[in-house]
Amino acid sequence: MSEVVIGLGSPFLSDDSIGPRVVRALTGRVMPGVRLVEAHAGGLLLLEELDGAERAILVDALVDERRKPGEVLLCGVDATTRNASCGHDCTLAEALVIGRTMGMNLPPDEAITLVAVVAEDVSTFSEQLTPAVEAALGKVCETVCGVLLGQADYHKTL
Amino acid sequence: MSSRITIDPITRLEGHGKIEIFLDDSGEVSAAYFQVPELRGFESFCVGRQAEEMPNITNRICGVCPEAHHLAAIKGVDQAYGVQCLPAARRVRELIYNAFFVTDHTTHFYCLGGPDFIVGPDAPPSERNILGVIRKVGLDIGQQVIDCRKRNHHLIKQLGGRGVHLCGALPGGWSVPVTREQQAEFRAYAEENVAFASFSLKIFEEIVLKDPVYRELVLSDLYLHETHSMGTVDENMASNFYDGKIRIVDTLGQEVALYEPNNYLDHIAERVEPWSYLKFPYLKKFGWHGFVDGQGSGIYQATPLARLNVSDRLSTPLAQAEFERFYDTFGVRGKGGGGRNLPVHHRLATHWARLIELLHAAERMVELLDHPEICDPNVRQAVEPKAGIGVGSVEAPRGTLTHHYETDVRGVLTKVNMIVGTTNNNAPISLSIMKAAKGLIHGGKVTEGILNRVEMAFRLYDPCCSCATHALGKAPLELSLRRKSDGALLDRISRG
Repeated sequence: MSEVVIGLGSPFLSDDSIGPRVVRALTGRVMPGVRLVEAHAGGLLLLEELDGAERAILVDALVDERRKPGEVLLCGVDATTRNASCGHDCTLAEALVIGRTMGMNLPPDEAITLVAVVAEDVSTFSEQLTPAVEAALGKVCETVCGVLLGQADYHKTL
Repeated sequence: MSSRITIDPITRLEGHGKIEIFLDDSGEVSAAYFQVPELRGFESFCVGRQAEEMPNITNRICGVCPEAHHLAAIKGVDQAYGVQCLPAARRVRELIYNAFFVTDHTTHFYCLGGPDFIVGPDAPPSERNILGVIRKVGLDIGQQVIDCRKRNHHLIKQLGGRGVHLCGALPGGWSVPVTREQQAEFRAYAEENVAFASFSLKIFEEIVLKDPVYRELVLSDLYLHETHSMGTVDENMASNFYDGKIRIVDTLGQEVALYEPNNYLDHIAERVEPWSYLKFPYLKKFGWHGFVDGQGSGIYQATPLARLNVSDRLSTPLAQAEFERFYDTFGVRGKGGGGRNLPVHHRLATHWARLIELLHAAERMVELLDHPEICDPNVRQAVEPKAGIGVGSVEAPRGTLTHHYETDVRGVLTKVNMIVGTTNNNAPISLSIMKAAKGLIHGGKVTEGILNRVEMAFRLYDPCCSCATHALGKAPLELSLRRKSDGALLDRISRG
């Protein structure tokens, strides 16, 4: 199966870098053939990264003041973070509709999982994660591996 | 009843912007503000780093215009290190940059600005997007948009190392030359871009210009502001996206400044307002007189429309013909001093100007790929870090972008400053929102159609509020009507 893990976010905005950091941490730890991608914008650009994949996992920071920093959530295309949509073009869900209409080889919605990590700070320029998110890095990597191995179902954890 | 309307977040706008509209006791608009989030600590993050890191840092600040930051940054480094970019490398840089302009302007027209016209400003939000455009114009247009992005991203990836956040810039040069095989491949891409841009202008003519309702909308007072214009021009006073001098013309089309980018502080000052993190640049010559337009105001715009207004001509033939048709349509071609065009101030015409720039960028790619030395392999040179001051400037799709660096003898940054395209347009965006809101909202009544027409007033600027937002959901638009005295929610309209 062709699989891709996309780490979304800016590597220079503190907890926003959790997506790229997870992708870097997974280098050499995932099965050969799993493509690892760092991405810094959503929408149609994500479409271009998803082309050809049968299964996709997106890792992104999530701002949610009701939850504790470092908490990990799994969800699907219908509830992706706004990082996954690009204000300059469209949401991920719209991009997927466009791509499928155009005949692109895209994974079905049920084969796309968002691993969202609750962030504490996404607006300070820094290459460091805040302590709670740094502490969650290992768990996020395990979660991604679990989804790849079919051991996690986002419908049960959302 | 004194009320406050909040549009937060704005749909189809990069980053997390917010519009706030304040209503007085009779439900009329008393004030309107455009706000963007604060990103903290950029200068301290950069100071102490090697200057040549900047192209690969700043291109990840923004997911929308990384190429603009990458090239403004390397131009700033070139100047700080006192090195001239090699001619072959300059051509590669400009080729990539025009390919980026093609993708960016295409995306804006078909995904952001165009749906208001192609699908209609009163269409439901679920229809007023690229999918609605496909349903209205046909499946083929969606395919063309996807193909256009794909081929130009391929070019950027081949020459820039990565498809989006490219990494090819070197001080005084570029990392790879164009090969003979690539020249032929990219030449075909450029020709396809020219055809696509011409097709897009045709769509605009058929759907917007020939429709009396849309024509009236474009010409209406609701979206009219007389401000000064800023843009980059070459030695022939023709618009250039990659390099040149900054030219400013006043509301009457008269040149008031023509300067090298590193002299920007002689001409531009920044106003700070307590309600916004983003500063408000204005022209020193005229001074700050508040949020007012007109010849005496220091407010200027830096947009596709502004770039046409500052130019005497465009350097490529098809774009020049469209440039003339544009000013003819508004009846102002050659009507200014010295035979220059009078500026066009109808802000919705910015969408048309953007398509003319799309064509110009496509034609410029053809010119560059036809240059007899486009495959010159001499794109790299040895450069030593040194103490210096460098100001790199390019025209980002959404306005003049300036990077200002100062380095010590090791090439380590001691000072960093940036003025991004959207910052230039901060004051006119606020003006436009205020005018549209005042013209459309009366008696506290707000509908979906009214809300979208207020959005149209700033969407035309293609603003980029930088970086990401993170809340769950499909970027809904929410308008809250609140009583100013106690913040109580009186009404709410949401979408998405």
